[in-house]
Amino acid sequence: MMRSPWHRLLVTVLIVALVGGAIAVAAATAAADSAKVVPKGKMTLAWHVNIATRWLDPQEHDGTATTDNFTTAIHDALIKNQGTVLYDHPALAERFEFAQDATSATFWLRKGVKFHNGEPVTPEDVKFTYENYRGAKADVLKGQTQRIEIIDDRTIRFVFNGPFLDFPLIFGTANVSGAGWIVPAKYYQQVGPDGFKQKPIGAGPYKLVRQEPGAKLELEAFEDYYRPVHVKQFIIVSVPEGATRVAMLERDEADIIYFVPGELIGRVKANAKLMLAPVLSGSWWLEFPDLQNPKNPFHDKRVREAVSFAIDRRAMNEAEAGGLGKVHGNWINNDVQYAIDWPEFERDLGRAKQLMSEAGYPNGFEVDWLTPAPAYYSRGERIIAQLRDIGIRTKLQVMERGIFYQKLQAGLKEWPGRQIILNGARIGGSWANWYEGHFKCGGFNSKDRFCVQELDAKFEHYEKSINPDERQKLAEEVQRGILENYYFVPVFRHAFVNAIGPRIAAERWQDVFQTITTGYAFPWEDIKLRDK
Amino acid sequence: MRQFIVLRILYSIVTLFILSMTIFTIVRLTGDPALLMAEPGARPEDLARVRQQWGLDRPWPVQYISFMQNVFTGELGKSFNYRLPVSELYFQRLPNSLQLALVATMISLLVGIPAGIISAVRVNSLWDNLGKIIALLGLSIPGFWLGLVLILVFSVWLRWLPTSGTGDWRHLIMPAIALGWYFSASLLRLTRSSMLEVMRSEYIKLARLKGLPETVVIAMHAFKNALIPVFTLAGVNLVVMVNAAVIIEVIFAWPGIGRLLYEGIFQRDFPLVQGVVVMAGFMIIGVNLLVDVLYAFIDPRIRLTR
Repeated sequence: MMRSPWHRLLVTVLIVALVGGAIAVAAATAAADSAKVVPKGKMTLAWHVNIATRWLDPQEHDGTATTDNFTTAIHDALIKNQGTVLYDHPALAERFEFAQDATSATFWLRKGVKFHNGEPVTPEDVKFTYENYRGAKADVLKGQTQRIEIIDDRTIRFVFNGPFLDFPLIFGTANVSGAGWIVPAKYYQQVGPDGFKQKPIGAGPYKLVRQEPGAKLELEAFEDYYRPVHVKQFIIVSVPEGATRVAMLERDEADIIYFVPGELIGRVKANAKLMLAPVLSGSWWLEFPDLQNPKNPFHDKRVREAVSFAIDRRAMNEAEAGGLGKVHGNWINNDVQYAIDWPEFERDLGRAKQLMSEAGYPNGFEVDWLTPAPAYYSRGERIIAQLRDIGIRTKLQVMERGIFYQKLQAGLKEWPGRQIILNGARIGGSWANWYEGHFKCGGFNSKDRFCVQELDAKFEHYEKSINPDERQKLAEEVQRGILENYYFVPVFRHAFVNAIGPRIAAERWQDVFQTITTGYAFPWEDIKLRDK
Repeated sequence: MRQFIVLRILYSIVTLFILSMTIFTIVRLTGDPALLMAEPGARPEDLARVRQQWGLDRPWPVQYISFMQNVFTGELGKSFNYRLPVSELYFQRLPNSLQLALVATMISLLVGIPAGIISAVRVNSLWDNLGKIIALLGLSIPGFWLGLVLILVFSVWLRWLPTSGTGDWRHLIMPAIALGWYFSASLLRLTRSSMLEVMRSEYIKLARLKGLPETVVIAMHAFKNALIPVFTLAGVNLVVMVNAAVIIEVIFAWPGIGRLLYEGIFQRDFPLVQGVVVMAGFMIIGVNLLVDVLYAFIDPRIRLTR
């Protein structure tokens, strides 16, 4: 059937109009939806230890991962770690530029961002926050910063004394430093640091309504936040007992709980309404103090390798983390800059015994103590049992956590004779923080327990280099050097096992625990409740 | 009498002084709080800054004088962890602890005294054996285990009661039972032995010889006299429950003083631990002083023999 050109034109115009209209309507609806998210409902988080008031003030960030949970709810940073982005997810700053020569960084504030008291977030607040900051890495940041320039009412520039390649990493990672988490200058000065901790005001997705020091925080959605916040009330309650936290989840008294102890994992797994969230957390490894001493049996690489062959890492993961951790090859987490992936070390008792014989220890030897990082004593017991299979006989030494770190920081004199330490850590930012903290000769936790000059020299070169490619190459070489020589024997990466209740809208646990650099459930504003 | 009271007060002051010295020394033996306050692996100069900020770099005698000054001003020092005066934290938590301790004391009295009386009156009977079993269970079942079982049964399975925290009266039931259970057993045993002792005394025999009904003998003569040590113990128990219900408060996430102490120990918050212990000591010594003075009033032999 033939149609006239007019008819064809009319049909074409009609189709274009219909499709265009539909697209326009869909776009308008979507825009309206995101713009008019009305926060509703209540969400309760059962926190696993007490709530220290000092965690509410990013100005005194203690450099641990614990504060993130609170900082990310009440405060916001210029750039931050979020989702799979390690440190430069744009937040209060809509964009930033890091000079090619690494001597300056410029941030452009998002238009219209406000603090909970309605005051705008200004470059003056950013400057005050940085200059007044006295928490972790304050000395590094301030030592390298020459001046801060306020360019206009939305632009601020940090000028450094020289190339400062690690600036964005330190500035933007919530579990490394709090200098990028902006506090309102006027209010902070008015109430002082202690007053601020009681009634903190930030620019984050939730504002603090009430605080019972140590026990409970009541937060409410900040409706002027630049991203939609979905849940109206957010309660964080401290529940130190694991069984009580699980019971709260089972009874719908809590929606998210942190740290399900190993013995309760099965109970949560068995409940179809609940969802386990095994977030990969710190890595665990064995270290041998004084390995540089030729009289120490661990001086011999073959002995260290034998230890590695003797460790049953999968059994450890199964027993200590319900199989939810990860057996991997590196002692450094792979969620930090320049960490390398390394294949899983195999278990081979025959090979281990052969290496012991070759090293001159066919019947093994005595080790004074094996000391696990407190309070993971059962992990130490398992290692002791596994080492016995190749004739390495030792006893468990337990100590209080503070004492353990005190001894680590005091160096070799606190670890006389033959010793093995089962250590564990989760450090954010860069591989360099791990090396500097735990391996470098003179490092803050390693002190003089291991001194491998060749690797330390490479690390020094890395620190001085301003060429990213060269830095990455050096970082990889140093890590390979540690692993190939078994200076440290990686064991496994454990899981910080959390759980999610039925009221939270999530298909998989990663919908709630989105950020790979933390064990906590931020970004909080993205969490949604199911419709009843 | 006046001399007796003055002497008792002096003893109490000396005891408080010794307690303050002991707790001051013990908390310092646990390690350096600066290590927990600074970032992990903080440099020596950072640790020194923290120590200076909190006066931990001063000699112990100077720190002790400062601590005592804070005690006398009533502030009890400033918590490292909360950045608040310890007294403020203490009095924020005190109502919760008092509430829990009072209900637990009531439960322990309601269970312990009647069961103790029945055991004593029906000595070596089935009732007495039942009382002994209750006492044995009360003293041997740990509070934390009982607390967890209560949560499992009444919160998770039956869904009758909330698991934890504060709120309405329903939040109080399980922690009060778990806390009062142990004290019920000790009161039961004391009531029983005290009643048995009184029942063997001459005046009870006389009362019976006079032909008084057994209920009158028990209720009017034996019970009243047997109750004096029981109420003394109940008073001391109450003070202990207010200040040291650590495990129960942790299990039920009850924001009381016991948990405050636990948090202080955990964080090496010296001022907090010192303050809570001194307040607990003050309460216990105060109650004992009151009891001593009341005894002396009631029984003149006490003030003459001491």
